Amino acid sequence: MPSWSDVSEVFRHRRAKPVETWERWVLGALVFLGLQSVVYLAWWWFRLEHVQDLVLFALLSLATWYGIFRMMVGWYNAFHIEQPAPRPAPEGLSVAIFTTSSPGEPYEMFVRTLAAAREIRYPHTTYLLDDTRDPRFAELAAEMGAVHLELVGLPGAKAGKINAALGATKEDFVLVLDPDHVPLPELLDRVLGHFDDPRIGFVQVSQAYYNAGESFVARGAAEQTFAYYGPILQGMHGTGTAVAVGANCTFRRKALESIGGHGIGLAEDLVTSIRIHAKGWTSVYVPEVVTRGLVPSDLSSYLKQQLKWSRGVHEVLFQEYPHAFRGLTGYQRISYLMIGTYFLGGLTSLIYFAIPLLYLLFGRQPAAMILSEYLLHALPVGLCGIAVYLFLQRWLCDPARERGVHWRGTLLKIGAFSVYLEGLVLAVLGVAVPYIPTAKERRAARFWPLARLPLLVIALSAAATLWTAYRRLFVVPEPEVRISTEVTLGMLGFLVLNSIFMGARLYAAWQDRVRRTR
Amino acid sequence: MTPRRTYRIAFFALGWLIALGILFQFGFKSVFVKVYAGIADGLSRVQQAVSDAEGRALTRARHTSRSDYLQPLAPTLRSADALRAPTGMLFGAYDGLLPRSFAGFEKFEEGLDFRFPIVSFYVAWGDKPEQQFPARMVETIDRMGSVPMVTWEPWVVDFDTSRRTNLPPRAEREYASLAAIARGEYDFYVVPWAAAAARYGKPMFLRFAHEMNDPYRYPWGPQNGNRPEDFIAAWKHVHQVFQKMSAANVLWVWSPHISMPWFEYYYPGPEWVDWVGFGVLNYGSVATWSRWWSFHQIVEKSYPALLALKKPLVICEFGTLSYGGDILEWYKQAFYHLDHTYGRVQAVVFFNQSQDTTMSAYPLDWSVLAERRATAFVAGELARKSVLER
Repeated sequence: MPSWSDVSEVFRHRRAKPVETWERWVLGALVFLGLQSVVYLAWWWFRLEHVQDLVLFALLSLATWYGIFRMMVGWYNAFHIEQPAPRPAPEGLSVAIFTTSSPGEPYEMFVRTLAAAREIRYPHTTYLLDDTRDPRFAELAAEMGAVHLELVGLPGAKAGKINAALGATKEDFVLVLDPDHVPLPELLDRVLGHFDDPRIGFVQVSQAYYNAGESFVARGAAEQTFAYYGPILQGMHGTGTAVAVGANCTFRRKALESIGGHGIGLAEDLVTSIRIHAKGWTSVYVPEVVTRGLVPSDLSSYLKQQLKWSRGVHEVLFQEYPHAFRGLTGYQRISYLMIGTYFLGGLTSLIYFAIPLLYLLFGRQPAAMILSEYLLHALPVGLCGIAVYLFLQRWLCDPARERGVHWRGTLLKIGAFSVYLEGLVLAVLGVAVPYIPTAKERRAARFWPLARLPLLVIALSAAATLWTAYRRLFVVPEPEVRISTEVTLGMLGFLVLNSIFMGARLYAAWQDRVRRTR
Repeated sequence: MTPRRTYRIAFFALGWLIALGILFQFGFKSVFVKVYAGIADGLSRVQQAVSDAEGRALTRARHTSRSDYLQPLAPTLRSADALRAPTGMLFGAYDGLLPRSFAGFEKFEEGLDFRFPIVSFYVAWGDKPEQQFPARMVETIDRMGSVPMVTWEPWVVDFDTSRRTNLPPRAEREYASLAAIARGEYDFYVVPWAAAAARYGKPMFLRFAHEMNDPYRYPWGPQNGNRPEDFIAAWKHVHQVFQKMSAANVLWVWSPHISMPWFEYYYPGPEWVDWVGFGVLNYGSVATWSRWWSFHQIVEKSYPALLALKKPLVICEFGTLSYGGDILEWYKQAFYHLDHTYGRVQAVVFFNQSQDTTMSAYPLDWSVLAERRATAFVAGELARKSVLER
């Protein structure tokens, strides 16, 4: 079992394996079967006699088919999986590396990052964009051969500092390096060659982590990114929609200047990316691990990060996307829409959480479907989905560590649905969320505030289960009980599933609790 | 993406489409169907097992079960042979919410303070899941201590044209459909149904193609070129299929419309029929073609002919509307004549449909519960005529 604790193994340059022709054929077959099974399910699902409660049926259909539609777009994307041919970096390019520091970020982290940045082989200048007002940072920069830029009191957080630094520097290429990411010496050599095509606006590399073994949350949060930085972004590269993901993206200065500087907002990376694409620039995704950083390792930080993203991504959907729409290519339009609606998953989760409760407590059943019929019709879609997902793991950047069913990531993602919902509501209402850099070390937190919602959902589920058991054992007439076993069982199954999702969130909160010390 | 790459993907997809299409047609499809039938079978067995476990828990919790009430009748209800030669009077009920829910049925039983030995419901022919053998339903009725009566309606148009390519198009299918059934063209449906009925194994009434002599009602009537000999051939063919599948537990209810003439010509013969059934529904003054008929008026003319068949008689649909007469009086008369005039009627199935829209634009209420005095009277009659202890 490859481990996360073996530092020399973790910090090694890795790249996704190339795509072979036979693999594309297999992928084609799986996707084809998948589409067939979706048609098979749809044909059955949308039968008029299935409608029991019109409103609930519409909501359930929306939630289910939103998920299936996303999966199909994912299949289309996966089918176009493509890797850029490695190109040697030409000599003599002028390159800047920007890394930002904010008050409260641990000093030791910068020691490590700046030291590693110094070791990057391709000639470059590292700039520390600093607003800590901590004299140690200026000293550290000098010691590490980096240029210290004191950028205090600028609006727009990280992006504001980057824009100010752009004005103060001249390099043609700018790598924005997140301070928690430790770059490998190969980084620029793997990236710069791709800029020989003058249309390329930015080159993104994989975002990998070295602390995924730290806690349940860290592992889950990392699992959520494995497929994205593996096959998904490679597919996006194939369809010309590779986006900038915030950390470790190298921009062509002209591209940034053409959009008036780095975008600002909670999802500043996405804002920048969509604007650059709308200006007609193209992008490259290099599926290689050339840095390793930190993933949120405690529940509170994770939820804050997800809220920030949800709020920010919805902002992009409502504000940036309509403006950029005309400048984007057809598939970019779909792709950014898919990204922009990712956190709507909070809404569909809410529907999935509500439906069993509505049935068990109030007897409102959305669809007159027979459970076994549903299972039989949904089975092929599920199997194809899993088959494609597992097959695509061939193109993970670090398969030895990243392969798996990623159950922690799934539990954590669905367990966080309330935060996605909150982000959506805040975006619709236009309520701002302060930009705080995601915490760089694991923090202990008080258990109860984090446990409230999961406990509430679990308690509600338990109460509904007991209420159902009581009613069916003592109150509901026997024939009705006997004929409604399946639907009740199905709904109870959903309830248990929901409790498992929330149980994972509860477990994470428990792991983080403040331990009383004697 | 270069144009060349786009073409390659298109060819790719096309190639797979053809290859998989061929693979599917030759072999994969049948494997798929078989595997799925297996899974479905396993699933339904698991569901029944779980439902039974829940039922046992419920019985323990309540210290009683509906089937306890019907225990005195068990020797009759549990044996097909006993049901072929009944001694007492059996009551039954159909409820409009069946087979989807027992809520209405339960209310009906509560209202009459009675547990019906026969539970009646309707299944149409077709490809939908609810048109297959209603295993869950009959098993449930069995656990309730009752016997199911299934009215099995050959709505041949309900078969999916895309799946049943050997069938004539929908528009032409109804004409002479009974002859087609007799030729075995619908055996793809009848055979698995019969096999499932045999698997069920416990007694059940099957009322196939009822009111076959009524030219105004169902597509299997004479208006569609279905002659009496076609009906008899279809009946015999279906019956033989059940025999071949060893579904001896099925009790065949031949059920003509007795207000229409010449129903005797549709009788397949004594060895093919276990019970003779008919409906007694008084529409009152609700339509131009109807007026208030008493129970006696409806039955008396045909009774001798029915009697001549020497089979136990069952009133499969029993009820009255309230338009143009007194419900209480109607039921009083009916029960009087059941006692004194029509001794060979050995089962009566109440038609508890409170939302009947098959004959009119607005829903008609057939339920005895619609009138309080009638409810009390019928409840009393049921208690009096039934061997069941209260």
